[in-house]
Amino acid sequence: MSDDLKNSSQTAEEQKGSTAPAWIFALTLLLLFAGGVYFDHHSGWFDAQVYAPYQSSDELEAYQPKSGAAAIFAEGKKMYTTTCATCHGDDGMGKPAQAPPLAGSEWVNASSFKRIEEIPQLGLGGELHVAGQDWNLQMAPMGAMLSDSDLAAVLTYIRHSWGNNASPVTDADIKAMRAAVAGHPIIGGEAGLKAIKE
Amino acid sequence: MKTGFRIFLGAFVAFGLSWCGFVLGPILQLGTLGQTTVLNSSDIYPNQRPGDATLGLQVYRSSGCAACHTTQVGQHGVVCDVVLTGAGNNPAAVNKLISTLTLTNLTKDEADAISGQISTAGGKTETHIRPIGPDIERGWGMRHSVAEDFLWDNPVQLGSIRVGPDLANVGMRYDLNWQLLHLYAPQSKVQNSMMPSFRFLFNVQKIGATPSPDALQLPAGFGPPAGEEVVPSEDAKNLAAYLVSLRADVALHDAPFTTPSAHAAGTQKK
Repeated sequence: MSDDLKNSSQTAEEQKGSTAPAWIFALTLLLLFAGGVYFDHHSGWFDAQVYAPYQSSDELEAYQPKSGAAAIFAEGKKMYTTTCATCHGDDGMGKPAQAPPLAGSEWVNASSFKRIEEIPQLGLGGELHVAGQDWNLQMAPMGAMLSDSDLAAVLTYIRHSWGNNASPVTDADIKAMRAAVAGHPIIGGEAGLKAIKE
Repeated sequence: MKTGFRIFLGAFVAFGLSWCGFVLGPILQLGTLGQTTVLNSSDIYPNQRPGDATLGLQVYRSSGCAACHTTQVGQHGVVCDVVLTGAGNNPAAVNKLISTLTLTNLTKDEADAISGQISTAGGKTETHIRPIGPDIERGWGMRHSVAEDFLWDNPVQLGSIRVGPDLANVGMRYDLNWQLLHLYAPQSKVQNSMMPSFRFLFNVQKIGATPSPDALQLPAGFGPPAGEEVVPSEDAKNLAAYLVSLRADVALHDAPFTTPSAHAAGTQKK
């Protein structure tokens, strides 16, 4: 009986002495540190806006496009929505008995913008063949009151949207065109358009 | 009793910590996520999917599409291209300088340094941001997928195995009719496709007094027997609408890039 008691107290003492070895704590701390470094490098301090491959909000900020081209495109879209979309549609597909499509139009996508840039400036009326359909409508000079840069932006937008992929139009181009066509009458349909030198 | 309390405490801490990591952390990080504006524009992103596409997500889920398709695009990095937008007063000097420089695949710092050099010589430049990575090279998207892309989806069907291609931007690649034909007869659209046919989403029926306006125009060899037509069910139409609505093609603050159209617009042509 006393032996049993002695034995059990010994085992208890042994158990007391056999706590986890020190290297386990060292390893745990090391792992925690490595985890901290990992998060530090990959999570941008748990910022919801920062994903790999970006590592910090500063780096992400540096990569925000500040390009003038994107701004021109956005301005063109704004102008299009307020000025053109009522008839030509937000998707550029045109509307029956209102306006022919701009998306996929051979006039919009022409390699030279000499013809398309005069349409919003002077207006267009009469028979016109667009994207496989015949149209006979009147368009007022909707772009005449826009500034050079706005008209350039909206033409650039039209020539680059909805699958269109033609060269951009610059402010200088519009300025030159406006000087050249000052006082011209409304363009007379397809014949009038074709008379404009590309 | 003392041991029992310790076990309880140990289990509580273990489960509590994992709950904090897997539930509380993400909620704190993304719980307030909402619509955001598209870079360089006033457009709001993402818009809620149309009603049929929202229903289609459930068809996507129940048909097990996520077992073979992911809807998340990865991105390994980002590079900058310096684009000349104006030659200034001394074009010869600018052109000579440019011929000695690398203008593409730069880091941000390199791009800034080169822009500085060119502007010192009198030229005007823009820096274009271009995400890179295998998924982007495959044409599966223009940037990595971010949390906003899935804002309206419940449950989110991320998927983890790519037996088939990633679908995060499949709406940019194919239209509704293509999707319906492909769901009924995948091999009619993609030769050697290993995708099973989802014929149970379609009704093959005898042509009535007038053919159904929805009937699929299948190519020879894939069509139903003579006198019958293949009409998509509501589920098929909803699923196709969901697939067409999958497009994450706008630049966001957390996924910046220069839109290709703006990219092209910046390249002046004379």
